[in-house]
Amino acid sequence: MSLLDHRIIVVTGKGGSGKSTVCAALGLLAARAGKRVLVAETSGADALPTLFGVPGRGYQPVRLAEGLETLSITPLEAIEDYVVQQIKVRKLYEMVFRNRVMSPFVDGVPGLHDAVQLGKVWDCAVQQKDAQGRHRWDVVIVDAPATGHGLTMLEAPRSMMELTRVGPMYRGNERVEEVLGDPRQTRMVVVALPEEMPVAETLDLHARLGERRRQLSLCVLNEVHPRAPTTASDWARARPSLLASGQPAVIEAADLVDAWMERLVRQDGSRQRLAEGMGLPVVDLPFFFQRKLGLAEVALLADHLAPAVEAA
Amino acid sequence: MSPRALDPRHARVVICCGSGGVGKTTASAALALKWAIAGQRVAVLTIDPARRLADSLSIGEIGNTPVRVPIERIAPHATGRLDAMMLDAKATFDDLVRRLAVSDTSATRILENRYYQFTSTRLGGSHEYMAMERLYDLWHSGLYDVVVLDTPPTRHALDFLRAPDRMASLMDEGVLRWLVMPASRSGWRALELGSEAVSRVLKRVMGRGTISEIAEFFEVFRDLWEGFHGRSVQVQSLLRDRRTTFLLVSSPSPAARGDALFFLDKLHEQALPFGGFLVNRTVGIPQQSLRPEELPTQGPLPADRWAAVLATIQQAPLLRTRLAQDHAQAVAALRSAGPAGAPCWCVPEQRQDLHDLPGLAAIGAFLPDERSVRPL
Repeated sequence: MSLLDHRIIVVTGKGGSGKSTVCAALGLLAARAGKRVLVAETSGADALPTLFGVPGRGYQPVRLAEGLETLSITPLEAIEDYVVQQIKVRKLYEMVFRNRVMSPFVDGVPGLHDAVQLGKVWDCAVQQKDAQGRHRWDVVIVDAPATGHGLTMLEAPRSMMELTRVGPMYRGNERVEEVLGDPRQTRMVVVALPEEMPVAETLDLHARLGERRRQLSLCVLNEVHPRAPTTASDWARARPSLLASGQPAVIEAADLVDAWMERLVRQDGSRQRLAEGMGLPVVDLPFFFQRKLGLAEVALLADHLAPAVEAA
Repeated sequence: MSPRALDPRHARVVICCGSGGVGKTTASAALALKWAIAGQRVAVLTIDPARRLADSLSIGEIGNTPVRVPIERIAPHATGRLDAMMLDAKATFDDLVRRLAVSDTSATRILENRYYQFTSTRLGGSHEYMAMERLYDLWHSGLYDVVVLDTPPTRHALDFLRAPDRMASLMDEGVLRWLVMPASRSGWRALELGSEAVSRVLKRVMGRGTISEIAEFFEVFRDLWEGFHGRSVQVQSLLRDRRTTFLLVSSPSPAARGDALFFLDKLHEQALPFGGFLVNRTVGIPQQSLRPEELPTQGPLPADRWAAVLATIQQAPLLRTRLAQDHAQAVAALRSAGPAGAPCWCVPEQRQDLHDLPGLAAIGAFLPDERSVRPL
């Protein structure tokens, strides 16, 4: 069974590790396989339309490519969505929840923001159907917030259940948790960078995931620099004769090669620590020496992910 | 709001904000270390649970109480000192409750309330509030000249600025009175709506049981209300103290850049004192240009492997140049988005991970001294 055959894929990882790009590449890969895909960004993030060069963004799905859509969930829109679904009358929502007395309350109940965002994800993945009664999307890919807050968010339905114990809030979160906590329906992908601290934080995240660890399918090692044409041992042998000339340009370039070689060693070490520490397949994604990525780069990343995603 | 008078007993506050992964924690620690070596009494408060910060500061454990960093190891004659601590939201919240509660019994009642336990430990949001609380403590403790705060690594990090307000307004009359006395007519009237409609909506959305539990939570919390309210006012004055400065930490990556602009807007919107950019991990364009004809055509390796070496040494500067150009554009874009004259400190990418005090001290050379960090 491919990773893409699951209902929900949650992509998590340290901030700045490239979760959105990985979501985009996974989404493209699934769309190429003929699936109808939704990438849901959370907490108001909206990186995908820019990546695909598509105008428009927001709470309503935006088409990125054939079979691929995205939306940006904000807590407030998700709350409104939830409440209106519950009470069926938007006017009533506006009267009660937009009220100056109520809004600090909605704002202030801790955990509510996270729980309703996941509720929206659940709604897209499970509830929404097309005219034929099929799920509107075959797979929903979630761009979760950065590590710490991402974990809090994943815990939110269970926390809300323990908090409320009975009632509609309990049942709503229970339904969300049934899908989000089920390894057959929801899988997780963790994105890491090949540097010491991001690796340590990824392993820490793994430790804190508890029983959700069984939902982890794949670790993506992002921004991996290319191998050099030469090897470390050949470089070590060649270096003195290159530097013998004393040319400043050669000395500077040799320093840059040293840095490159050191980086390769760190990358290999990172990959090994992640694989051993988590017992997961680790797939490399290349670093692009231009920082502004677009559709071409996303397509290339999708190619890189394909074999591991099929096997995961 | 006019800046309040300078109170010499209060520390000055430098708040580092920015998205995750830009080296905010390391930058905060390096700033604090630099200023401590320069003679200031500095506290650095981090939200980041990464063990590595403790390691790089050469302290075994880092927690809610200040731990002295052994700066004398790298600066034997330093006259300042550096304390590091990591926010423990639960411990801070508990302390606050004990301090604000009218009696021990009342404190115990709150600490044992189920909803309180969730709020203080399990659910999002309390972190931001407690960061402000801890910062406030340090600010007026009289123990420090400077307090450096490393903010939570989320786009919502600046929510912490509103956190005390939010907590206070949550407990504010309207909601509080209404929740605690749901049946009283004055409470319902506050909603300016027929009570039946409201009751129906909330029952449908949250359930009757949940509503009464939350009401109970607010009931036990009621005697803290004044304390919270007072705190909210005090924290606002701290944030607008004329020596408080926000630094925006960023990196040349597009995501970080986008977040930095987002933070900049937020600071502007809330009229908070911005002091400049700190861009981590930038690389520069190679100074020399390498001409292939200057490279020896033969070396101590077979021809094909020597050719690979030559290809490597020619590629390295090209890759670096591409990266450097991109970084330069990123920094320029950031500067042009900021207010005119905003300083921008660039910390070049380090060859090694920063994992000890000398490493942290080394990047200090690229960081501003304490006096250069001030509101624009």
